[in-house]
Amino acid sequence: MQDLLRRYGTGLTTLFCLLVAFWILVLVILPNFSMLFESFFPYLPVAELGGPKDVFTLQNYEKILANPIQTSWFGLPITLPIHVSTFVDTVFFSALVTLMTLILAYPLAYFLAKIASPRSIPTLLLLLFIPMWVSEALRAFAWYIILTFNGPLNALLKALGIIDQGIRWQNGVFSSYDAIVIVLTYCYVLFMLFPIYTSITSLDTNQIEAAEDLGSPWWRTHLRVVIPHAKPGIASGCVMVFMLSAGSLLVPTVVGSTKANWFPQTIYAWFNDALDWNTGAAYSMIFLLVSIIFVILAMRVFRVKLSDIAK
Amino acid sequence: MTHDTSAFSRRRFLQGSAVGAGILAAPAIVSSQALAASGTVNFVGWAGYPALAEKVFPAFAAATGIKVNFKELPDQETMFAEGKVALEAGGVDVLEPAIDRWGGWNSNGLLGPWDPAKLAMDNYLPGLADGSAGERSRADGKLMYVPSNWGTEALVANEANAKLSSPPSLGDLFNPENSAVLRPHSTLAAMGRWLDATGKLPRPWMDGYTDMAAMTELWDIALAEAIKAKGNVVQWWSGENEANAGFTANGATIGLNWDSTGYNLRKDGYKYIAPVEGAFAWHQGFVLMKNATNVDEAHEFAKFVSTPEGSAMWAAAFSSNAVGKGSAEFVDPEVAAYYGGTFDDAALAKLWWWPEQSAEFIAKRSEYADKYKAA
Repeated sequence: MQDLLRRYGTGLTTLFCLLVAFWILVLVILPNFSMLFESFFPYLPVAELGGPKDVFTLQNYEKILANPIQTSWFGLPITLPIHVSTFVDTVFFSALVTLMTLILAYPLAYFLAKIASPRSIPTLLLLLFIPMWVSEALRAFAWYIILTFNGPLNALLKALGIIDQGIRWQNGVFSSYDAIVIVLTYCYVLFMLFPIYTSITSLDTNQIEAAEDLGSPWWRTHLRVVIPHAKPGIASGCVMVFMLSAGSLLVPTVVGSTKANWFPQTIYAWFNDALDWNTGAAYSMIFLLVSIIFVILAMRVFRVKLSDIAK
Repeated sequence: MTHDTSAFSRRRFLQGSAVGAGILAAPAIVSSQALAASGTVNFVGWAGYPALAEKVFPAFAAATGIKVNFKELPDQETMFAEGKVALEAGGVDVLEPAIDRWGGWNSNGLLGPWDPAKLAMDNYLPGLADGSAGERSRADGKLMYVPSNWGTEALVANEANAKLSSPPSLGDLFNPENSAVLRPHSTLAAMGRWLDATGKLPRPWMDGYTDMAAMTELWDIALAEAIKAKGNVVQWWSGENEANAGFTANGATIGLNWDSTGYNLRKDGYKYIAPVEGAFAWHQGFVLMKNATNVDEAHEFAKFVSTPEGSAMWAAAFSSNAVGKGSAEFVDPEVAAYYGGTFDDAALAKLWWWPEQSAEFIAKRSEYADKYKAA
């Protein structure tokens, strides 16, 4: 604070603080607080607001436990409330997306940070960035076209003689979430790449050479030297990709199969199909809370601190 | 926390946030009032029908000097949400829901009455603003809704590949040999009506729209049957674009879609067919916001869409049917031929108008749609 005052003077510093306060208070805290508040009241016509039915209740939260359905996990039949099942699927497949982006991004980040010649880095980064210039909606729709029954992927495979019948990729080969996982991985891989790239860049190359000189095979060098150093980058990449994937509404809506349901779609349905904003708010709160717990647990398991990620 | 204090603090909170929203929205309120003097109407309507802005609004401006500020939204749920916000923030005068929906909007306190003296009620074709439709347009004797156009939801089928029974039936949607483009809630209604027509329901399907106990009994049956047949669904649709892509990109052979989808695909080898049970029919129109600022302009606007020319243009923009008397001579012959091909007099007589659906019904209906989607 003293530093800020000395550098920018009273006027600018006050402006900065006011802007940050406005951002956090008006754009983040108040809307969430209002949702939290509304989530404890029933959905009523405007005329009955403030009336005898307009009382504090937990019924919106209880709705997530209603409507059990038969489903299966890895072939095991199980009975779960429909929205809990959607929720579990969303968390599981978001974690899968996180893992896929990590597998794709780590070697690439290592290549960019330690192997590629410094002169080619700007070109390579530009190439990676170009897809980001197109909006997420268009990229998701492009994937929808690629994966459709009459789409280019089936046309190509048929022309090459690999398949003779079109495949409904969108409905999934391994699970009904295939298309969502593919497209989310595509959309969010850079959110994994750049934190890892940044953290590997700060690793002294001498350490890698020293490990090699001492006879460490390449995989052990990564396991003992590079990955521990890059852990904050990996953790922040994982948190970002997981939260973005789990919170994505657009991608599941555009490419989702007729069997897939993503939890944000359930929240959207409460708001926009059932017109029940209060239950929608309750579901949003549940989702926010459980996602935060999940991330904190993951950070505990991998022994990463929040301050590491902030760096 | 006692009930009284919680309700009290909730009100306080809402009042507080309304004041806050008012301050934030002040520029919008001020500017919309400033614009009112120069003759504008703020209209929230359907997205995906470019002819509205290209042809109808300029014609309306030329006829009356009133400019239309058009906000396009994809569906009625989003329009309702917009209206709910506008109740606090202002900026919306007229919206365009279906006749079975405005009741729910009205019970949420969104709407104000039209003044029939400022409209021309004689302009409307018989049966659209009078009779039972007229009763359904009123609440407590006040006119809350005036029609803008009407249309149908029926079978869109690939002429070469769809397997149709003779005569074509809603049951063809559930034939495993067809791949289908559906939307969950109307599909469940189609299943219900099909089961009803084939005598497989314990009581008439219509009972479900008036009695919630009958609703759960009937919709449970329809849901179970629809889930059995779900394997042939290749695409869900909620708007025009998805419906179209379901046929062209995903290769569906049959669907339960709006007439506009069938019309747009008429040159790609698809037919629009009225099922033997009768096509679903909807009726769409204008409602006035309770806090509308451009009330006279809004009446002029609704009146324009009841004139022969205005109603024909409005219907042409939606590829649907006009509400005004004398509109036939302004209708594009291609559109007229298209509808003539689907609806002969017998099919017109069988039209199944969507019944009124209460907020409770809609909440329950989306629960069923949800289960169907997740199955």
